[in-house]
Amino acid sequence: MVDITKLRDIAKEVISRDDVRQVIGYRPGTYGFRARPAFVLEPADADELIFSPACINNLATYIVIEEKLPVPRGQEPDSRKVAVMVKGCDSRAIIQQLEEKAYDRDHVLVLGIPCEGVVDMDKVNARFPNVDKGDIALEGDKFVISFNGTKEEVAKDELLADKCKRCRYPTPLVSDEMLGDEVERFADDDFSDVEVLEKKSRDEKWAYWEEKFSRCARCYACRNACPMCYCEDCVLTRLEPMWMRRSVDISENTAYHIARAYHLAGRCIQCGACEQACPMDIPLMDLNRKFYKDVRELFDYEPGTDAEQPPLLSTFSVDDREDFIL
Amino acid sequence: MAEATKTAEATKTDFEPNIVAFLCNWCSYAGADLAGTSRIQYPPNVRVIRVMCSGRVNPLFIMNALQQGADGVLISGCHPGDCHYMQGNYFARRRFNLMRNFLEYVGIEPERVRMSWVSASEGAKWKGVIEEVVEGIKSVGPMDSFKRRQLNW
Amino acid sequence: MNGKPRIGVYVCHCGTNIAGTVDVEEVVRFAQTIPDVTVARNYSYMCSDPGQALIVDDIEKMGLNRVVVASCSPRMHELTFRKTLNGAGLNPYFLEMANIREQCSWVHEDSIAATEKSKRIIEAAVVKARRLEALDQKEVDVEPATLIIGAGIAGIQAALDIADAGFKVYLVEKSPTVGGHMAQLDKTFPTLDCSACILTPKMVDVANHPNIELMTYSKVEDISGYVGNFDIKVRKKTRYVDVSKCTGCGDCASACRQAGRFANEFDEGMGMRGAIYLPFPQAVPAKYTVDKESCLFLSKGKCGETPKCLEACQPKAINFELEDEIVDFKVGTIIVATGFDVFDATLKPEYAYGVYDNVVTALEFERMVNASGPTGGKVVMLERGKKKKKKKEGEEEEAPKVPESVTFIQCVGSRDKSVGNEYCSRVCCMYTAKLAHLVRDKAPDAEVTVFYMDVRAFGKGFEEFYDRVRREGVRYIRGNPSEIYRKNGKLIVRAEDTLTSTPLEHETDMVVLSVGLCPRTDTRDVIDLLKLSQSSDLFYLEAHPKLRPVDTASDGVYLAGVCQGPKDIPDAVAQAKGAASAAMIPMASGKVKVEAQTSIVDETTCRGCGFCVEVCPYTAIELVEINRMGWHVKAARVNEALCKGCGACAAACLSGSIQQRSFKDLQLLPQIQALGVK
Repeated sequence: MVDITKLRDIAKEVISRDDVRQVIGYRPGTYGFRARPAFVLEPADADELIFSPACINNLATYIVIEEKLPVPRGQEPDSRKVAVMVKGCDSRAIIQQLEEKAYDRDHVLVLGIPCEGVVDMDKVNARFPNVDKGDIALEGDKFVISFNGTKEEVAKDELLADKCKRCRYPTPLVSDEMLGDEVERFADDDFSDVEVLEKKSRDEKWAYWEEKFSRCARCYACRNACPMCYCEDCVLTRLEPMWMRRSVDISENTAYHIARAYHLAGRCIQCGACEQACPMDIPLMDLNRKFYKDVRELFDYEPGTDAEQPPLLSTFSVDDREDFIL
Repeated sequence: MAEATKTAEATKTDFEPNIVAFLCNWCSYAGADLAGTSRIQYPPNVRVIRVMCSGRVNPLFIMNALQQGADGVLISGCHPGDCHYMQGNYFARRRFNLMRNFLEYVGIEPERVRMSWVSASEGAKWKGVIEEVVEGIKSVGPMDSFKRRQLNW
Repeated sequence: MNGKPRIGVYVCHCGTNIAGTVDVEEVVRFAQTIPDVTVARNYSYMCSDPGQALIVDDIEKMGLNRVVVASCSPRMHELTFRKTLNGAGLNPYFLEMANIREQCSWVHEDSIAATEKSKRIIEAAVVKARRLEALDQKEVDVEPATLIIGAGIAGIQAALDIADAGFKVYLVEKSPTVGGHMAQLDKTFPTLDCSACILTPKMVDVANHPNIELMTYSKVEDISGYVGNFDIKVRKKTRYVDVSKCTGCGDCASACRQAGRFANEFDEGMGMRGAIYLPFPQAVPAKYTVDKESCLFLSKGKCGETPKCLEACQPKAINFELEDEIVDFKVGTIIVATGFDVFDATLKPEYAYGVYDNVVTALEFERMVNASGPTGGKVVMLERGKKKKKKKEGEEEEAPKVPESVTFIQCVGSRDKSVGNEYCSRVCCMYTAKLAHLVRDKAPDAEVTVFYMDVRAFGKGFEEFYDRVRREGVRYIRGNPSEIYRKNGKLIVRAEDTLTSTPLEHETDMVVLSVGLCPRTDTRDVIDLLKLSQSSDLFYLEAHPKLRPVDTASDGVYLAGVCQGPKDIPDAVAQAKGAASAAMIPMASGKVKVEAQTSIVDETTCRGCGFCVEVCPYTAIELVEINRMGWHVKAARVNEALCKGCGACAAACLSGSIQQRSFKDLQLLPQIQALGVK
């Protein structure tokens, strides 16, 4: 696990550098067990930084969604680096962003956090409802949940986020400084969850998704939380050309979810931020994972693992499968 | 129960599907033209949008067509290696493969979503493709899952 | 051309081609109800003068700013109507065609269904027309040079015409000499001109012409660019002979340790050559070539103490250190004149070619009757594969036997579905007649028989020649032989005389198979270079079977000779001259219009991800740094001179920031919507 003192010291040191604008990390949330993003602009801010299994957000998102306000004439934009703390999964977002030339490598200072898994906050809240303020720590194969002066231990497996149960890259794949010791891979991805859905009959499939899609409130939280969704102007909500209407309706919602997932084909790095953000509990990762599985099986491609590889859908192999073509 | 199945069967066979096809200008559109010049008769269910290359076809067009009322979508381009723009059909193939699998995953029958290679000289093949696509879509019935039902505005 | 769209819809009857199936009146009534349609009319032939005048008139009087023509395929008349719009002062890209002929009236008999489908097609065209934009068709300079691939008679003729007109020609030939198949022929039908006598002067001309750069034993390796500006890369394979020093004396060939050991390609394997050789005496250039595979020194690394050719060559032209040379140059136009292969007769096993010595192909026979051929022009029985016995001192060489009977079989590999060639090769009837005549000439005692399906003597002087040959005693039997076998030292041709329905067994000494013309086995190489299409017979496809027989779908690329389809020499020459003048049009005008339906980037929304850069097959897109409200960001930029308008970038773009003009999302999505309606 990461030594918090060391983490804060490094953050202080980093923010003190002339070429660093801010450090993005985690700090305790204001309610319940949540941790929330922290934007460290000066050394003193670093004292509240933490890392715990409650640090579920993918901070790589903040590198790309930062609003670029007009720069006054005669001034230059702030070109100092952004330092960001990333777990293994989050680091893949950075690699994918680099592959897509979202920014130059020297624009970011990556502080890697080898991660043994984070919690599924929904599971935590279900088990410990209405807790005002609490902490979560990982000790061996148990999560230690403390609140109101009590401590409870829960088997890791019971509260661990699904994405962590399939994590192949617990240690960040890219970093300028590592904040802890390498964590060995403790899980693998066999796509059995996707296969369960694939095996449903066509009617069952649509019934399943119709129910999920009809819940969607079109709040776009999934898009906003996603580290790969950072277009200046999302094509899916544009008025012209209008790919789908913005009304909440099973037809429009379905179109939105198909399009959102397709836009992540070969790009989704499985951080689960979308699903985490969804207020309607739509299993967005089930959609993303279908593409993720196919991309790996058909094209032997794993997004966010190599910034030098060409974007999946901007390349092809002459030998790509075509047994489905008439 | 038996009655209901019967009606369902009846609607499936009586039903004339509406298919939107995207054809590349150089091979498939020319092949469809050749079918015309040769007076080869085929079902009138396919309506064509001409694009210069199958590589232009954004897979979201498929989704859009199904939403807008099409019962099926066909994308047709040049055979591998024959693309007028060298590679467009390869990109189309890869994108299409993913999209078709995905649509199947959310409950859209793969019979509705087809792709073919038809060259400028394959007027007869074009007819065969249309017949197969029409038959396939008839077997799964009208597209109703996420078809837009609101009034046009 | 701003303001509200005012659309004119013109429904063509095309005589009864459309109106016979589609209720055009009903379609017009429907079109009038589509929003923004100012006028909808129908007319018998929209492409005719009065038809076009209707459009011009309405544009001028009614202020139309978009035009939809519902008629034939845009591949047929899009250019015609674009010119009409242009003539009326409207940007030509405000035209949208609705194909209700090739893809509707001609393929659906059901009038109601065809009428309904026409309505949908027209509505889709109207909604797209509503969103069409004026495009600017730019012009670029044309490099005044032509690349001609293949130096057979078609390539030679095209090269001479273009060079004589004052343009530069790069003539690239794969084999060591120019001349192609015509150089192998003895006489030409029906005039019986000596093939070499009429061809060799032209061969010499191409070698000496100041405007022609001849590259033999060379291969085009890469072609990029577009009409007016093609970049060409040619590999000049090394001959291991310094052509500037070689005098063509032939001392090397006689000295070669391997002399006479390999089948000479030019003689269809009937004559022999060494490892260093000249394909035939009149070869151009008259420079020797070392065949890498058969040369002992090059294949085994050792040829005696020193290779004998090196010693024999006085000018010291032979150099085994020589390497291939890569040449790059630019041309404005390209002519493909790659010719054909003759049908591989082993694919018809019933004719036992390759089994019996005296079953030969017509091209082999052609070499046999040629005075400079392997038998010195004598028609004789062959003993193939047999080593010649060493002549003993004073022993008379046994004179080869002259056949008492020669039998021709026509349509071998032509008009034959079983081998996949449904087409007629167009030359076999007449060359058979010619060869039959030559047998009468050279072996007057031999009986000559021709088995045929039909005799197609369609050309100038053909029927007369066919008559003459029959009068000379050549016996024509209508029927396709089913089998050839050997009995008592004779070949037996089993057939049925289909005129009398009598089965027969015809005894003969020699069978000549009149093999057809086939697409070359390396057809794909040129397709990979130029993206040519093939017709169903696998010859290269012309842009239009009637009106653009020398053009291809690629601007600036033309076809000449048999590579486009079987034809005889005068037809190949005529097409070559046609291709030459077609190629000279852009060169003479000096300017050519480039694709207008190119891609365009919205820099305000572009993510700068480079997906489009990656998919573009023409490297027409690059990422450039732009200033977006003070921020230095990357955005895609299209080089319109390089963009060919495929639109692959538009499908790759996630933010919809790069769009293909005339095929933008906002133009295609309404089309999808219009077609989605039942």
